[in-house]
Amino acid sequence: MQPALDVRDLEVAYTVRGIPRAVLRGVTFEVAPGEAFGLVGESGCGKSTTAYAALRYLPRNGAITAGQVLVDGKDITGMDAETLRRFRAREASMVYQDPGQALNPSLRIGRQLIESFTLLGQSKSEAAESALRALRRVHIAAPSSVMDRYPHQLSGGMLQRVVIAMALACNPKLLVLDEPTTGLDATVEAEVLELVKELRRETGAAVLMIAHNLGIIRDMCERVGVMYAGKIVEHGPAGAVFDHPQHPYTVGLLRSLPRRGARKHQRQLATIPGTLPLIGSILPTCVFVDRCPLADETCRTVEPPITDLGGGRWTRCHYPERIGELAAPEPSVDIAMLAPSAAGDGLLELSQVSKTFRQRGADIPALVDVELRLAEGETLGLVGESGSGKSTLAKTILGIESRDEGGTVALDGKAVAGSTMARSADEKRAVQMVFQNPDSALNRAWSVRRILTRAVRKLTGVKGEAANTRVEQLAAHLRLTPRHLDLKPRQLSGGLKQRVAIARAFAGDPRIVVCDEPTSALDVSVQAAILNLLADLQAEQRTSYVFITHDMGVVRYLADRIAVMYLGRIQELGPTDEVFNGPNHPYTEALLSAVPSVDGQTRERIVLSGEVPTPANPPAGCVFHPRCHRMIQGVCDVAEPPLVEVRPGHSMRCHIPIEDLARLQQADTLGVGA
Amino acid sequence: MTEAIIPGAAAVLPPAADPTAPLSERKQARRENWRLIRRRPGFIVGLIISLFWVLCAILGTHIAPKSPTKFLAKPNISPNGAFWFGTDKLGRDIFARVLVGAREVLVVAPVAALLGVIGGTLLGLLMGYKGGLVDSVLSRLVEAVLAMPTILIALLAVTTLGKSRFVVICTVAALFVPIVSRTVRAAVLAERNLDYVTSAKLRGESTMFIVGREILPNVLGPIIVETTVRIGYAIFTVAGLAFLGAGPEQGSPDWGAQVNEARQSLNGGIWWPTVFPALAIASLVIAVNLIADSIQSVLEA
Repeated sequence: MQPALDVRDLEVAYTVRGIPRAVLRGVTFEVAPGEAFGLVGESGCGKSTTAYAALRYLPRNGAITAGQVLVDGKDITGMDAETLRRFRAREASMVYQDPGQALNPSLRIGRQLIESFTLLGQSKSEAAESALRALRRVHIAAPSSVMDRYPHQLSGGMLQRVVIAMALACNPKLLVLDEPTTGLDATVEAEVLELVKELRRETGAAVLMIAHNLGIIRDMCERVGVMYAGKIVEHGPAGAVFDHPQHPYTVGLLRSLPRRGARKHQRQLATIPGTLPLIGSILPTCVFVDRCPLADETCRTVEPPITDLGGGRWTRCHYPERIGELAAPEPSVDIAMLAPSAAGDGLLELSQVSKTFRQRGADIPALVDVELRLAEGETLGLVGESGSGKSTLAKTILGIESRDEGGTVALDGKAVAGSTMARSADEKRAVQMVFQNPDSALNRAWSVRRILTRAVRKLTGVKGEAANTRVEQLAAHLRLTPRHLDLKPRQLSGGLKQRVAIARAFAGDPRIVVCDEPTSALDVSVQAAILNLLADLQAEQRTSYVFITHDMGVVRYLADRIAVMYLGRIQELGPTDEVFNGPNHPYTEALLSAVPSVDGQTRERIVLSGEVPTPANPPAGCVFHPRCHRMIQGVCDVAEPPLVEVRPGHSMRCHIPIEDLARLQQADTLGVGA
Repeated sequence: MTEAIIPGAAAVLPPAADPTAPLSERKQARRENWRLIRRRPGFIVGLIISLFWVLCAILGTHIAPKSPTKFLAKPNISPNGAFWFGTDKLGRDIFARVLVGAREVLVVAPVAALLGVIGGTLLGLLMGYKGGLVDSVLSRLVEAVLAMPTILIALLAVTTLGKSRFVVICTVAALFVPIVSRTVRAAVLAERNLDYVTSAKLRGESTMFIVGREILPNVLGPIIVETTVRIGYAIFTVAGLAFLGAGPEQGSPDWGAQVNEARQSLNGGIWWPTVFPALAIASLVIAVNLIADSIQSVLEA
């Protein structure tokens, strides 16, 4: 059968400052009709370029320099503008990462959706009908009211559904999805992914999917290609590639993920040394040679052949039989990672902490009666969907937002002021922060040296030569070279920028560091290095972390305890293993089930219906009851359950007794196995 | 600029993290900007014209072939070999007067523009960073001032406060303050919510430090652009004031004043005493704007 997409020896170059720079260096793959093919790899490896090139959507400075792209047997590389336009309108569609940018902000959803049908030659009234049908098809409950709204009035998940509805308007033979769920909450992501799966079954469209999240690719795609520096280095069925990788790069990529319940006490995460070669650099032989632990003279002189491994698998490596030699990483720190001191002596204690924002005269409670303790050397993971109050809680601890009257935040048993400005120098020094986006967190007009020197001076009071020495020690400690000190942030890679930001937070030997998704913008191998660094620093200095994240693997690796938040309330708080292994709060259960795992799905996904309610008008009774799959009518919608200790050190806010939860959850897990 | 569009990944462009990259990359980036600016034909043309007028302003009477103030010939001689631009109604050489006239405008306009930019920057930093009530009140005031026609206020100020160079400079500067402040305010608003500001607050920096040392360097781009644009407008405003009689005293070789003096003779078909100084003003304004455009398109790309 003719493939839906057939990419042959594709080469693409971008012209930057007048010089064409190779980005794709001979990419070959096929997607059969009705099949889903995934491309994975770190940023800059060429996966997005491949996706754009597949529909010839390259930017003006990009050009296909060699090779062919055949969609349904038609070569699109040679098409003239008019044919190409018609081809894109009728046979292939693309869904981009940011649905907000794919839609025109000043036109109503309906008008934009109807347009995609009139383009196909339908009359106005036919198109309006089709638009409504399309919205129903992507499970939008009230399609006619959505048609009347503007993009900014819809949530991210809804927008992405609208975009998918538009993409499917022409019943495309090929659907290209470029990171379709990046930036969405795990629960929303799960919904969108389920939708894509269902529509695929329905329409039989072939799918080319790009994602940096390997779990999503495993969940969604039959086959996968692992890209590195513009080449596919390994190819095969998704399960086989992820379970038994046969290329050193794939091995490295998978090893750097915190997976299978790995914890910081047990092992360090593996990293891939070195950096991706710059685009346009000349790579005559194996593209991975400079970062490969197996590389030898042959790899540097002879281009590796494609080694067929049978069953549709191949790898572009000289030594696939030596993959077993890639040993698991040795722990470099004392693995007896100083256990956090007994929960009794709280370094940080929050009691009755609430935060209410006032907006247009209405009170919006963002935090409600939070009780927390953090011991020295402990990591507390904060998880929950966006809008759950994680960031507000962190800001309240830091004093960026002042808490409401009545609550207390105590450091070493001594209450501190609500706002940073009112705190003493020592109190400021004790609590610092690492931000999500280092581009925003580092002053781009300052050199790294100035950023660190200022932090050292201001936080420790050390001046002059002593401060310089301290900066150099600090930099060395964070594995920054003296050369980095004289650069500006934008001259550093994402991982290095985040190191600088961490160095700044540690300038004054803080007791507590609040980390707000510090690795979400980084590639997995860089993420691994940063997580290792944070664990090392904690082991040495007994620093405590409040770690906000969406990534369940990361939080499981780093956190000692986890607080699950929903609508400003802590729903569950307990030791990491107990929270993950259950029995857990139904909300935690749903959150965990939503995460696609690179090791394959272990439990059935619990799809949370509806959207997070607005905190201004929280539901009566348990705030989670309208979305809860274990809701008990007449109980959960009447009274809000208190946060009670169900086991030593493990609290939950649920009406269902823990024994019942254990039984129910046990039954469901078994149900999947059967 | 097409250079930055590479889909999907910001990290595609060299992050220069490899140890072989030279230390002076910051300088290189600046040099790169400068190179891009120089490559623009508009910038070259603008620069040549501006430099010509600056030279005239500095050298003045030294390069003028004839005296600009003496009555050398019959009045209203049309342009010819001896008097390239002709003579005015008092028989003075218009060519010499145009060359020398550059001085007045090139002293007053840049100084006024610079003062206006400094004032506007301070006000803009205050409005943008403080936000809230301070910003609301000041913003309304700024809008109120902007609603009034510039030249009328300027004229009013100059006629009540006197025509001295000092008053003209201060008036033009004051008129530019609200305009510049809006640009700076917008730039500061974008910076204020970035995390580096939060980080500075967390380590207990003063407001002065955050605004002056952390934010200001990041909004310099728009301020530089605004400065060049303002110089262009200042030339126009200063010449306009001189034309309306609110500038140097009658008879001095100022472009605006020359146009004013000669405009009645236009009816009699005597065009040269008006047209040549007017062309001088236009050429300088256009030249400065060409430079401003070039800087803007490179810095804001």
